[in-house]
Amino acid sequence: MLGGGGSVRHCWRLVVVLVAWLVASVSPAAESRPRSILVFDQSDVRSPFYQAIFSGLRNAMVSGSTSPISIYAENLDLSRFAGAAYAESLQDHLRIKYRDRPIGAIVAIGSATLEQVLRQRAILWPDVPVVFAMVDEPAIARLRPPSDVTGLTMQLSLRDMMIAARAVVPGLRTVALTGDVLASQTAYRHFADEIPTAAADVDVMNLTGLPVAELRKRVAALPDHTAILYTAMYSDGAGTFLPPADALALFSDAANRPIVITAETFLGRGGTGGFVMVPSLIGEGAARLALRILGGEKASDIPIARGDVIRPIFDWRELVRWNVNQTRLPAGSEIRFRPATAWDQYRSQIVVIVTVVLLQAALITLLIYEQRRRRTAETEARNRMAELAHLNRQATAGELSASIAHELNQPLGAMLNNIETAELMLDAGSPKLAEVKEILSDLKRDNQRASEVIRRLRRLLSKSAIEAQEIDLNDTVREVFEFLSTQASARAITLNNRLAPQMLRVRGDRIQLQQVIVNLVVNGMEAVVDGANGDRKITGRTALLNGASVELSIGDSGPGIPLGRLKEVFDPFFTTKSHGMGIGLSIARTIVEAHGGRIWAENQTSGGAVFRMSLPLVQAH
Amino acid sequence: MPKLVHVVDDDASFRNSVGRLLRACGYDVAVYESAEELLQQLPEAAGPSCILLDVRIPGVSGPELQDRLARLGSTLPIVFLTGHGDIETSVQAIKAGAEDFLTKPVAKDKLLDAIERAIARHQAAREQHDRLNTLRAKVARLTPRERQVFDLVVRGRMNKQIAHELGTTERTVKAHRQRVMEKLQVESLAQLVSMAERLDALSAATPPVQPVE
Repeated sequence: MLGGGGSVRHCWRLVVVLVAWLVASVSPAAESRPRSILVFDQSDVRSPFYQAIFSGLRNAMVSGSTSPISIYAENLDLSRFAGAAYAESLQDHLRIKYRDRPIGAIVAIGSATLEQVLRQRAILWPDVPVVFAMVDEPAIARLRPPSDVTGLTMQLSLRDMMIAARAVVPGLRTVALTGDVLASQTAYRHFADEIPTAAADVDVMNLTGLPVAELRKRVAALPDHTAILYTAMYSDGAGTFLPPADALALFSDAANRPIVITAETFLGRGGTGGFVMVPSLIGEGAARLALRILGGEKASDIPIARGDVIRPIFDWRELVRWNVNQTRLPAGSEIRFRPATAWDQYRSQIVVIVTVVLLQAALITLLIYEQRRRRTAETEARNRMAELAHLNRQATAGELSASIAHELNQPLGAMLNNIETAELMLDAGSPKLAEVKEILSDLKRDNQRASEVIRRLRRLLSKSAIEAQEIDLNDTVREVFEFLSTQASARAITLNNRLAPQMLRVRGDRIQLQQVIVNLVVNGMEAVVDGANGDRKITGRTALLNGASVELSIGDSGPGIPLGRLKEVFDPFFTTKSHGMGIGLSIARTIVEAHGGRIWAENQTSGGAVFRMSLPLVQAH
Repeated sequence: MPKLVHVVDDDASFRNSVGRLLRACGYDVAVYESAEELLQQLPEAAGPSCILLDVRIPGVSGPELQDRLARLGSTLPIVFLTGHGDIETSVQAIKAGAEDFLTKPVAKDKLLDAIERAIARHQAAREQHDRLNTLRAKVARLTPRERQVFDLVVRGRMNKQIAHELGTTERTVKAHRQRVMEKLQVESLAQLVSMAERLDALSAATPPVQPVE
């Protein structure tokens, strides 16, 4: 592809003849360059490599410029046509063709093109700056372009080919060099000089310049640990000219060893891969420079630099064919033609589905976790409440110890009296049996009474687990009032019951509900004692509400509760007493709510506070 | 004369049992369910008696009853009984003059001791009271002039001084003094002074001498 063009010695004559005319036709102003470029390359239009360069260039021009730019292209086909006559005819052709077309910049692709363009420009477009690409550095040194010519050089190296060869053939011992004779290829000429250094430890088998038929035979019989290095070949050796990619395809199927290549377009034609020229990058690089110049930058201000256009790229199918370990490939290698996996084809769908599944799983896990936590917390809370309730009962029992002692000592005192009377009677002789009998029956009754006191106390203090059973709320209230009656009478407080006539069946823990009532009554008693109110009265009421729930209220004749504190009284540690923890009502609320009920405080219109609680009624079966 | 115990307790069982015990021990017993009942039938302090009172009874409480009895002028001694003796109630009761403070259940001996002690003290006080009343009755029989002479004699005045103070003759004073000794049934000046002492007649300031003509 980069074959040397013939020299164009005769064109100088033409140059002189046309100078005057051309000077007038070329735009003199560098500041406002025409929005047009003329692209030259050395191929014919069919070459895929140059097509790719051109499309890369055009894409970069279009995307890099806000206003449209005219792009003209000339394929000089220099690898097949050369000579002064051709150059001369080209000049005529170009002059006539672009007579009315002002050109802002000229782009030259390839060393031979640059050489040709420099000659033509001197005559046709002396003031038009030139951008070149894909020109090897020795060519620049030789051509010594003027200062308004700039561009990107390119340097292929045998060293890169050897690196790729060692990567695809472990334990490389031989390389077979294929393509046109190196000396005839400007881009590869220097490989001959590189052989002693880059390929010092391998045998170099020179298969260049062979006709395709011969080459096919040779590459089919290569020894082990051999890699084929393909530069470029422009003919089949039998008179047919063709692009190097097509030439590669003519023998690659016969090769028994992997073929290391130098151009992206050789991939898919039997080349295994290597450090390859990427034509679109070449075109883009040239386009970027051309745009800068069209934008007003001076070509002389842009230094000539090496273009970054070579990339390690490999053909996956060939790697598989030659059983190449992909981890051995140079760092950053790109692998092409890998069949799309399900992941590649349905990536977004897979991501969505997996995400949904994961989210769902996470949600389910979270819900299960939360449920377990909630259950643990509920159990914990229940246990805590039972413990607190127990403590509260003990505290209440402490407060009630005076009345409990009184209640116990009453029957105990009576029993002692009776026993001593009996003793006296027996000592006196001839006791009256009827009276002794009466004494014994009294003893029995008092004993039972004492036992009952102890039994009630134990029930109040028992630390039993919560057990729900159907109970009559009236009984519960009655029992508590009985229990507290002595306490009340000692403080000259009247306890009144106004219980509903019918049985009020609720489901719950009898001890806990009793505790609530004890708390309310004891609080009430303290309120009426502390208050200056002369009428010391506590009234317990039960009533059936709308057939679905029952209400219990404990009212007192105390001073009542300040309006703002009606809700606060149920807060833990709220207390107006000098003693006590202030947890009684908070526990009461917890217990009532655990029974599916509600408890609240009100002030009575007649004075004093009333605590009301509602509990669900158990429907009779 | 059998001693009488008034039992006030709202607990029927205890009330009956203690009544039964005291009767077996030879006391007369009257039982009351409440303090009001006792106050309604306020017993005359005829014979030796006392009240056995439960501190915690409905209505009027034990210490309150004690208070009311004192205001009614009753000298009936009260023995408190309680199911639970807290310090506050005990102090209150003792301050108000309770004879004793017992805790239920109480052993028979302790109970009887307390009752006996209360009755005995009441008895002693009553006897003292009676004696004083007798003395006061005797002193009341003196004429004013005789009373003047009595007051001066027990303060150690000589007949002559008395005569001078009362503006009369020594002889008349002697006669009055003889009448006083007779009326008060004493034989010596020492007995006369002792009687004045018991009647608390010495602590009063020397009565002004009024001319009695």
